[in-house]
Amino acid sequence: MNKKNIPQMAGAALIAAFAIFPFVYSANDYPYIMHILITGFFYAILASSWSMLAGYAGQFSFGHMGFMGIGAYTTALFSHYLYLTPVPTNLCTEFPIGDMYLIILDPIGITSSTLTQDCLRQALDIWDGSVQVTPMPVWLGIALGTMMGGIFGLLIGLLVLPLRAAYLALFTLGFSEILRATVSAEIAVTRGQAGIELPYLFDNGITLFGHQFDKTDKLPPYFAMFFLLLACLGILTWLAKSKFGLFVRALREDEDAAAALGVNTVRYKVLVFVITSMMAAAAGAMMAHYIRIISPNNLIILQMSLVVAMAVIGGVEHFVAAALGAILLEYMLEYLRNSFEIGPIVVDMTTWRLVVFGILLMLTLRFSPKGLLVPMIDYFKRGHVRKETMAKRNAENTP
Amino acid sequence: MEFPVFFWAALGWMMFWGVLGSIATRYVYLHKDLDTSSTRLLGSMMGAATGPIGLVPLWIKTPEITTRLIIFATLGTLGVFMTAFALADPGNLCVTNGSFVASQISNGVIIGIIYGFMALGLTLIFSILGVVSFAHGEFYMIGGMVTYFMTTVLFPEVTPIVGIAAACILTFMLGALFERLFLTPMYDGRVDRPVEYGILITFGLAFTLQYFVQATVGANPVKAKRFFDFPRLRLPSAEDPWLIKTSRGNMELFETISISNPRFTAAVMCILVFIALMYFLRHTWTGKALRAVSQDRQAAAIAGINPDRMNMLAFALGSMIAALAGAMLVQAFSWLPQVGAIPALRSFVIVVLGGLGSIPGAFLGGIIVGLVEAAGTGCIPDPQKAASYIPAYGMIVLTLTLLLRPTGLLGRKFASGTHGKF
Repeated sequence: MNKKNIPQMAGAALIAAFAIFPFVYSANDYPYIMHILITGFFYAILASSWSMLAGYAGQFSFGHMGFMGIGAYTTALFSHYLYLTPVPTNLCTEFPIGDMYLIILDPIGITSSTLTQDCLRQALDIWDGSVQVTPMPVWLGIALGTMMGGIFGLLIGLLVLPLRAAYLALFTLGFSEILRATVSAEIAVTRGQAGIELPYLFDNGITLFGHQFDKTDKLPPYFAMFFLLLACLGILTWLAKSKFGLFVRALREDEDAAAALGVNTVRYKVLVFVITSMMAAAAGAMMAHYIRIISPNNLIILQMSLVVAMAVIGGVEHFVAAALGAILLEYMLEYLRNSFEIGPIVVDMTTWRLVVFGILLMLTLRFSPKGLLVPMIDYFKRGHVRKETMAKRNAENTP
Repeated sequence: MEFPVFFWAALGWMMFWGVLGSIATRYVYLHKDLDTSSTRLLGSMMGAATGPIGLVPLWIKTPEITTRLIIFATLGTLGVFMTAFALADPGNLCVTNGSFVASQISNGVIIGIIYGFMALGLTLIFSILGVVSFAHGEFYMIGGMVTYFMTTVLFPEVTPIVGIAAACILTFMLGALFERLFLTPMYDGRVDRPVEYGILITFGLAFTLQYFVQATVGANPVKAKRFFDFPRLRLPSAEDPWLIKTSRGNMELFETISISNPRFTAAVMCILVFIALMYFLRHTWTGKALRAVSQDRQAAAIAGINPDRMNMLAFALGSMIAALAGAMLVQAFSWLPQVGAIPALRSFVIVVLGGLGSIPGAFLGGIIVGLVEAAGTGCIPDPQKAASYIPAYGMIVLTLTLLLRPTGLLGRKFASGTHGKF
């Protein structure tokens, strides 16, 4: 067996393990473990796409969670405000589409249900159950969220074109803060801090492998998130291996030199923003449908810090390592949640675990800037190269 | 707002001519082979203020761009914007009530001084280390927390100066320790990309400090008692023979402007510390060495200054200034471990607006941002929304600065160190 292939084989084994895990694991905490893994996959998508943006392209953006939020809020608002009915309500804003009517609800926010009702509910009261209202398909919402993430990525990418390093980090952090402020302020539309509710990812259940799964089952969202992660990693690998990856790394090392050598820096800088924000938005949209609520608290800086810490501890210049780091650290975060007692002192680990996490992040940066997983991968790859060059040298030295 | 359509139309008109002016003026000046460094700013301001009436003569005559011209155009833009707002919303408190406006302006200036003071720490760190300290807000928070514990929990009888001093010493040592442990690899090429390393490591420090404080103190808001009471001056009379009475209330000037006690004392102390700091920077050897390193690192090293030690001093001093701002504002706001995020972001805005490494610029920028926030919170019709949008006002200023005048108001064109350059 070739030593160089060990990382690839380990990766394949890991994918297989994650694929069969839900079928073989059957302990009592099955839903809990599944939830941790789904959340882990979610963070893995964010961390790996952020490592593409920050590690590969050198654009240290702190607005990644903002793009996640754009995806999540787009699908939330889409499924919350748009419905299809066969007859017009004559109360809402509505457009005929084929033989159906597209209903746009009026935003009323959180009001007492006895005083104000949205126009659709009033219409339903009048119809008294005689009309079937169709909600919008979830997958269309997720696709729209992804697209919206791409559009915002394009806008932000164009705005930050002249900015480098610290300016870029500040500007994107500010963008994400503005987004959070807007979402919490526009209570009538987004329901502010209360958060907006979403339908299930598979609202009518789904039949997989000849087994009917309920909408609350963890297995369908597990595979949905898992395949999204695999798709993102696949796209990222393909991009990194192609000309795109090369150009983007040139951008990171020296933008002026890259431009002088004929790299269209504007195009690649914007493109890398668009692609990574689409990934973040897709992950956010899917996660929002899985946890079924999205609130401005999902956009706070803590969330961004978690993604950054996961990517850095895994390996910021290697997105597979970043993804793995995210899954491992998400598990670690949950594992550390258990509070314990030292004599009379109760240590509340729900907060201390984040301190541990922060210290781990700083120590990783200081003593192993490539991350904790990348040196392991490098060990196998480099070991092989060294042996080969040694063999070559030996052959040259003994004529 | 009574006529929102009119307001947005006016804003759209200004933005259209502003964008057109910034692009076309630069093009015209470039075409005539003239200096284009301030054309963006002048063109956009002229366009927004006067539309085609001012732009066309500008394009034809292409005068030399002076600071006075820019200031006139900027004031014109402000005037047009305010007129449009007043016409669109004639019933607004900002338009009808003069004493409210005076009150907002004075409060904006006072809080702006404190903002500027906090940003001073960041600009010190930025100009010497070339790093944006993302932990600036956390030092601010720690300064407030330490002062709260010293003055309210541990020693309620002691003078607040002791609490402030404790906060300063602690954060100074923390800053110095962090710099020695984690920032030293940046200077000698041990990390590939020092600027990004600096961003990430201070980000990690911010995260660690914030949750360390939350784990030890808890997440409940705390409030420190106010440091000093206002003296109330009153003529002595038979039943009240003392000249000076103390009062806990707000200071009322001319019976219109109301200034809250904690903010006022904080601003006064900030000014005092600022004067002391300026003396330190301009008249002591260490201060001169600090400024020398910020101007030219290598030349300073040749002159016998150890730049590494100045790095440590700058980071510790900058962190201490943030903590001092926090220690003074802890009496004005309720305090949480998360309280540092918005002031940190605001300090970044001020530093960019004032110009990197410029100390007067930081103060000017602070006052401008304070006024913009006071205008935003006072004039937006829905008060709840206005308060929620506080981080956005600064960001609008930041975006405009970066687009129109990236060097900032009083910024140097270049500075030493490994800055995130444009």
